Amino acid sequence: MNRTLLKKCIRDARLLWICCAGLLFAFAWLRMYVVSRVEMDSFARIVGELWDKWSAFSPVSLEQLLSYSGRIAITFDEPIVVFGMAVFAITRGSDCVSGELGRGTLEMLLAQPLSRLQVICTQSAVTVYGIALISICVWGGLTAGIHTFSVQEEVQREFVIPYIKIRIPNPFAPKEPVRIPLSEKVNANDFLPATVNLFALGVCVAGVTTFLSACDRYRWRTIGLASGLFVLQMIVKLGAMAIPEFKWLNYGTIFTAYNPQVIVELAVRSPDTVWNLVMRSPSGEFLSLGPVGHDLVLIGIGLVGYVAAAIIFQRRDLPAPL
Amino acid sequence: MDHPLVEIAGLTKSYGPFRALDECTLEIRQGEVFGLLGPNGAGKTTLIRTLLGYLKPTSGTASIAGLDCLKQSVEVRQVVSYLPAEAALYARFRGTDVLRFFAELRPGGSYGRALALAEQLELNIATRVGYMSTGMRQKLAFAAVMSAEAPLYILDEPTANLDPTVRGTVLGLVKRAQGEGKTIIFSSHVLSEVEEVCDRVAILRKGRVAHLQVIEELRSRHRILATLSGPHVELPAELALQMQVVNQSGHELQMETDAPLAPLLGWLATLPLKDMRVEPVGLRSVYEGVHRPAA
Repeated sequence: MNRTLLKKCIRDARLLWICCAGLLFAFAWLRMYVVSRVEMDSFARIVGELWDKWSAFSPVSLEQLLSYSGRIAITFDEPIVVFGMAVFAITRGSDCVSGELGRGTLEMLLAQPLSRLQVICTQSAVTVYGIALISICVWGGLTAGIHTFSVQEEVQREFVIPYIKIRIPNPFAPKEPVRIPLSEKVNANDFLPATVNLFALGVCVAGVTTFLSACDRYRWRTIGLASGLFVLQMIVKLGAMAIPEFKWLNYGTIFTAYNPQVIVELAVRSPDTVWNLVMRSPSGEFLSLGPVGHDLVLIGIGLVGYVAAAIIFQRRDLPAPL
Repeated sequence: MDHPLVEIAGLTKSYGPFRALDECTLEIRQGEVFGLLGPNGAGKTTLIRTLLGYLKPTSGTASIAGLDCLKQSVEVRQVVSYLPAEAALYARFRGTDVLRFFAELRPGGSYGRALALAEQLELNIATRVGYMSTGMRQKLAFAAVMSAEAPLYILDEPTANLDPTVRGTVLGLVKRAQGEGKTIIFSSHVLSEVEEVCDRVAILRKGRVAHLQVIEELRSRHRILATLSGPHVELPAELALQMQVVNQSGHELQMETDAPLAPLLGWLATLPLKDMRVEPVGLRSVYEGVHRPAA
C-alpha cells in the first residue's frame, strides 16, 4: 500500500464518510429518543393488533420485539441505516476503477510506478475502514442515546412503614409515572454483534460494487447496477418472508445473512452463543449458521468481489479517457 | 546517443478485426527527441499506452531500458514520466496539492522542481483544478510530469490548448530536458513543433510505421518550383544525379534536392524563367506524401 495514495483516497472519501457517519450517528441517537418517548404499553398495543400480519416479517419473537433491546435492535433494519451504509459502500466501491477511469484520472495515476493491485488495495482498504467506522458510529449513536434518554414507566405507589422502614406496594393508589434511564433497561454492548453484522453487510456491498467497477468504464453504470442489485436483494428477501412457498428464495439474497435483530435477541437471551460460528442443538446437531457465520458469509461475498475485482483490473485493457 | 532506450518489435494491438497497431517496429535512441506523427486513429496513443502497460499487445514485444513493458510494467513506469493527451487531474485538489501528490508518489520526485516549473509556466497553483481552464490544467500536468527525474518522458500532445507563448516555453523545456540527457517521445499534430524539437519522426498510418524521417536531413532538403515561358528542357546530366524531379508537366517543373543549390540556380538562370520559388521541403510535405495515398 502506498502512503501518498492512501492519503489521497482518504481525502476522496472524507466528505462522504462525514455525511454518512454523521447522519447514521444522529439517526441512531434520535431513534433512541423515539424509543424513550413511545411508552412500552402503547407500543405493545400497536404491535399486538398487527402481530398476525406482522409476524411473518418479524425475524424475532413478539416477546423480544416488546422489549427495549428488541425495539432498539430495529434500528439496524431501518432503511436509513441500511441505505446509509449502502450509499457509502456503493459510492466508494464504484469509484475504485470505473470512477477514476470515467474521470480520466486513472491515466495520470497509473503513469506513476504503482501496480494496479496497489491502487485497488489502497482504495478498498479505505472503503472497508470507512465502513467499519460508520458501523462504530451507528453503535456510538445507540450508546449515546441509551445513556442520554430515559423511559417512562408506571410503577405501583408504595407506602413506608414508619420506624421499620419497610416499603409495601399500595394496590389501591393509582400508578405513578417515573422516568428510568434507558441504560438501566438495556446494555449497549448487546448491540456490538449486530454492529459487526452491519459492517459485514457494508463489506459485502462494497466488494460486489468494486467488482462491477473493475469490469466497467462508466461509474454511473456501476452505481446503477450495484443499486439495482441491492434493491433486488431486498425484494427477494421480502418475497421470501411474505410468501411461504417462496421461502427458498432466502438462499438467493444477502439479507438472509443480515440478521441484526436476531443477533441482538441472542446477545440478550443467550450471550454465550452470540459469537458462535454455527448454532447447534444440545445434542450437537447443526441447526443453522451463528451470528459470526452470517458475518463471514457476508464478508466472504465481499472478499470474493474484491479478489475478482483485483484479477479483472490487473488483466484488463484500460480504455483511453473519453 | 545511439544506444536504443526503447525497442519495439512487431507490436500489434487488435480489437477484433481492427488493428490499432500493426506490426509496429521502432527503436528510439537514448538522448533523442523522437516525434510521433499521424492523423487521429493512426495508432500514436495506442502505441504509447501499450508501452506503459495500459494495453496488452496482441503480439510483438516492447521494452524500455531493457525492461519488458508488459511483464515489468511498474519498473518501466519508474523510468518513464508520461503526460497523457488532455490530462485529467483531481478536481478538488489545488495546483499545489497536485504537484505535491505526484512528487511524493514517484521515487525521486521533487516538489521544489515542480514548483519551479509551474512558475516558469506562469501557473497559478493556488487555484483548485476544478476551477482551472483547460490550458491551466495542461500546464499543471506538464509541470508535474517534467519535474519527475526519469530518463524517458512521453509527452502526448503536450502543447494542445496552450497559448503560443507557453507553447514556446514548453518546447524550450523539452529541449532543455534533452540537453540534460533525457529521451523524449513527443506525439503531436502540430508539424512545425515536431520539426522544431524532434531529432527523428515516425509517421504512423493505420497502425503501421509508414515513414521514419531524420529531421536534420529534412532541413537541408529544398524544393524548387519553376515556371518556364518556353518548352521544358532536360536536366544536365551532372545535375540530374543530385536532383529528384517530383513533377514535370507543361511549363511547370518541380524538383527536390539536398545538394547545394548554387549549380542548379546557375542552370535555371540560363532558362526562359517566368517564375521561380525555392522553399525548404519541410515535414508537411513528407507527412502529406505519406498520407495522401490513403485519401
